[in-house]
Amino acid sequence: MMIDKNKGLPEEILNLPESSFEMVQTDEIKDEKFKTKPIGFFKDALLRLQHSKISIISFWIILSIIILALIVPNITGFTYTEQDLAKRNLPPKIPGLENIGIADGSRVLTNRKKDSLSDTNRYPEGSIIEIVREYESKGVAMVDVKVDAYALAGIEDDVYHWFGTDYLGRDLMTRLFKGVRISLIIAFFSVITNVIIGVIYGSICGYYGGKVDMFLTHFAEVLDGMPYIVITILFMILLGSGMLSIILALCITGWIGTARLIRAQFYRFKGREYVLAARTLGVPDVKLIFRHILPNCIGPLITRAMIAIPGAIFSESFLAYIGLGIKPPEPSIGILLSDGQSVLLQYPYQTLFPAILISVLMIAFNLFSNGLRDALDPTRRGEE
Amino acid sequence: MAEESNYILEVKHLCQHFSSGRGKNKLLVKAVDDVSFGVRPAETFGLVGESGCGKTTTGRTIIRLYNPTSGEMYFNGRDIAGPMTKDLRRYLTDNIAMIFQDPIESLNPRMTIEEIVGEGLRIRGMKDKDEVRARVHEMLEKVGLTEEHATRYPHEFSGGQRQRIGIARAMIIKPKMIIADEPVSALDVSIQAQVINLLNDLKEEMGLTILFIAHNLSVVKYFSDRIGVMYYGRLVEIARGDDLYRCPLHPYTKALLSAIPEPNPITERTRKRIDYDPERDHDYSVEKPTMVEVAPEHFVYCSPSELEQYQKQLGL
Amino acid sequence: MAINPNETVLKVEDLRISFKAYGGMVQAVRGVSFDLKRGETVAIVGESGSGKSVSIKAIMGILAPNAVIESGRIEYDGMDLTKVSEEDFHKIRGNRIGLIFQDPLSALNPIMKIGKQITEVLHLSKKISSEEAKHRALELMHAVGIPEAERRFNQYPFQFSGGMRQRIVIAIALAGDPEILICDEPTTALDVTVQAKILELINKIKEERHLSVIFITHDLGVVANMADRVNVMYAGKIVESGTSEEIFFEPAHPYTWALLSSMPDLQTKERLLAIPGTPPNMIYPPAGDAFAARNKYAMKIDFEKEPPSFKLSDTHYASTWLLHPKAPKVDLPDVLRARIERMKGAK
Repeated sequence: MMIDKNKGLPEEILNLPESSFEMVQTDEIKDEKFKTKPIGFFKDALLRLQHSKISIISFWIILSIIILALIVPNITGFTYTEQDLAKRNLPPKIPGLENIGIADGSRVLTNRKKDSLSDTNRYPEGSIIEIVREYESKGVAMVDVKVDAYALAGIEDDVYHWFGTDYLGRDLMTRLFKGVRISLIIAFFSVITNVIIGVIYGSICGYYGGKVDMFLTHFAEVLDGMPYIVITILFMILLGSGMLSIILALCITGWIGTARLIRAQFYRFKGREYVLAARTLGVPDVKLIFRHILPNCIGPLITRAMIAIPGAIFSESFLAYIGLGIKPPEPSIGILLSDGQSVLLQYPYQTLFPAILISVLMIAFNLFSNGLRDALDPTRRGEE
Repeated sequence: MAEESNYILEVKHLCQHFSSGRGKNKLLVKAVDDVSFGVRPAETFGLVGESGCGKTTTGRTIIRLYNPTSGEMYFNGRDIAGPMTKDLRRYLTDNIAMIFQDPIESLNPRMTIEEIVGEGLRIRGMKDKDEVRARVHEMLEKVGLTEEHATRYPHEFSGGQRQRIGIARAMIIKPKMIIADEPVSALDVSIQAQVINLLNDLKEEMGLTILFIAHNLSVVKYFSDRIGVMYYGRLVEIARGDDLYRCPLHPYTKALLSAIPEPNPITERTRKRIDYDPERDHDYSVEKPTMVEVAPEHFVYCSPSELEQYQKQLGL
Repeated sequence: MAINPNETVLKVEDLRISFKAYGGMVQAVRGVSFDLKRGETVAIVGESGSGKSVSIKAIMGILAPNAVIESGRIEYDGMDLTKVSEEDFHKIRGNRIGLIFQDPLSALNPIMKIGKQITEVLHLSKKISSEEAKHRALELMHAVGIPEAERRFNQYPFQFSGGMRQRIVIAIALAGDPEILICDEPTTALDVTVQAKILELINKIKEERHLSVIFITHDLGVVANMADRVNVMYAGKIVESGTSEEIFFEPAHPYTWALLSSMPDLQTKERLLAIPGTPPNMIYPPAGDAFAARNKYAMKIDFEKEPPSFKLSDTHYASTWLLHPKAPKVDLPDVLRARIERMKGAK
């Protein structure tokens, strides 16, 4: 609104009370008080993480798989080593689901002589559910028959192998979750080792720079260039196959990425004015590294470690799959997959369950670490 | 340069060369080249020049963020240019503190204000948390912030407030001297005065010596007792602020003064800018230039013939 | 081109722009009106966050995607620029309205030769042969004071100093032969001696090409150098507008007072008048006068009711309740009065 004083003021402006025109700011004007509550870095990151639904779901999936891995092998009533050749290759049988025709422990046997069905030694009473197909081959009456595999093997009715059994009659669910447990242990330990080595190595490279950095970086590159399968095999020969040699194998080159990341972060942050400011205050080197520079690497570091976990699980599976896994009878996801694929056509469930689990695990870890990366990104600080 | 030892900080023939590349590609940058000046106790010495002239490097070399290539530096008579020992680092950091340019960059985003400001005390062995906190609160009060601000993180503050936090961090260890590197140039106009006034108050109250580094000659002139003008790594003129403004001698100083826009439409419309071209303005093929005291407290980097001309100009 | 000095080339009316942000709408521009006459330079002065850059971006049609123009008109050549489609804007930007950015390095493509960058704009604006384009580009480079234009034509931006880069940006802005030149803090990133040269250059090409210039800056020295008229912005509003003389010698708004007296000039000796506090959070703009909380002369009504724009002369307006007849008489701060006396006395 533009007002020309000479032409007279509009009523509502002219009639403002005198009291409106009292000076009110006689004291010294202070800085405004904050209206919000103080919030720490991690709390802030957590808040933002909570806003990402996918991360939360992934987190719960990961947590439940971990809990299952801890509990399941102890409550199935079977052990992962318990063999019973009579029970080999049993299909899944799950209480509840069996009544609706899924996972009821049945299997279709093909190319059976029709006559043999009446042989109660081979087909105990109640083991035959239905005849799927009848046909004739070379003048002999043949059938495909759906049987209750559990009854066929002479097992009591109340025995349930949820995920079935393998070729040695071991309970697959017990072995799967025991395997998850072992795979996760291998992954966590190798990642933690990698992070520790990487942080120390990268910090030294990045903080001191110059010749030290040049030498160490070249050394890492040489190591990175070596074919790691060969090194893994050497470890196996030296230490025998076992968890330790797998973890070591995953650590040979695994830390190099972390070291590079940390080194880059150091180069980025060591020239920052607040690091210089701390130096001019006389803050010693160790404190500079751990208090001023490293905390800035935590975000990318956590993210990287999180992404590395499914990577390590996958690498372990890969090694197991090509026969470089841990020593039997210890299971791991990779060993289960490897065993399963040899009977993939006859008993697909033996591959199915470990495959689903490793997929879910890897997707969940990846999505969760994406969410973490966004939440820990300092440029998005203070949003929301 | 006068050999008086009444300087609290004395810099003699300081050189800071940076090299990059190797062999044929080796590039030598003389960021600071044969710079000498002295700062008296409780004085503000302004270092002014354009970007890349080496003023920031000079400040950072004095506080030994960089190791000098050559030259001498003395603080209170003690050599501070020598090899870096634990003792020297302690001496330097106890006596000289620095204020940085960028109010966002210069505070650690992962630390609270209390941790940032109190760090100087903690690394000096103050263990008692309550004592640190009390000192931090006292210092925050002094820079116009409140106790309530202590638990906050830097990103919650405005530029001016952050710069005041930076000042509090520098002042809490009670240094004898402050190196202020462009402390206001990243701030909004309305905020700059807050920071300048604060620095002025602290200077009076604590008898501080300040080395004030900036590119804005108006601010340097307002703030400093004496001013050194730098051009491409060299100090070309040192004088008291008024002298420098009234009778600048070195052609670069003249050019710099003539380029500053003043908030006055009358003078601005008629302003004549003076160009500086070292090739054209100096003939150093025969006579080599040196730093000469032309008049009391007024040093110029010039050759003997230029000196004569300058003296004439001053009516000496 | 015949120049009618009173012809209005651009008129902004009651422009309101908000940004969607976490926590609400940031009201960046809250009712800005100003006009630009042919051949004059209008300066918009304000701190960061005052809304000056946002207003300019609206004129250029380059607002961020999360910006919303809530109301207002930008009249240019019979069009309302707030309603022009992106395609039509292509014809206006560069051709009729040129823009110079603050940071010349980021305004140039680092991997394209500068000659190419200039001729590209020429080709976009008119159908011309490449020889002719090169010829015109060299002319432009010469006009903006780039020495050895032929050699430099084939160089990349990194081979130029900051001042030279800004000259190239100006050459690119001039390539479409615009009638309005918008300068968004064109010298903030430059050294003072370079700044002086660039300002001289802008003034020179303005005269030669009869440009109308909108100049955005926070530096009052630059304003005094460049502007015929000045708009002072605070918290998304123009709080005072007038000719350079009126703003510098007869400021009426306390914010303008504060701005003028908060920076030292070469003669200043006395304590500076700092503006206390910080600018308001524009998600929740305060009721009444936005400057009230930092204003020593704030009255009760300043916190209650927005002041209207009082007319002081045909060209001078200020939005402050201090101009109300019932308001107590407030004199200019002593520091400022002394400075104005001194400035008027300067030759």
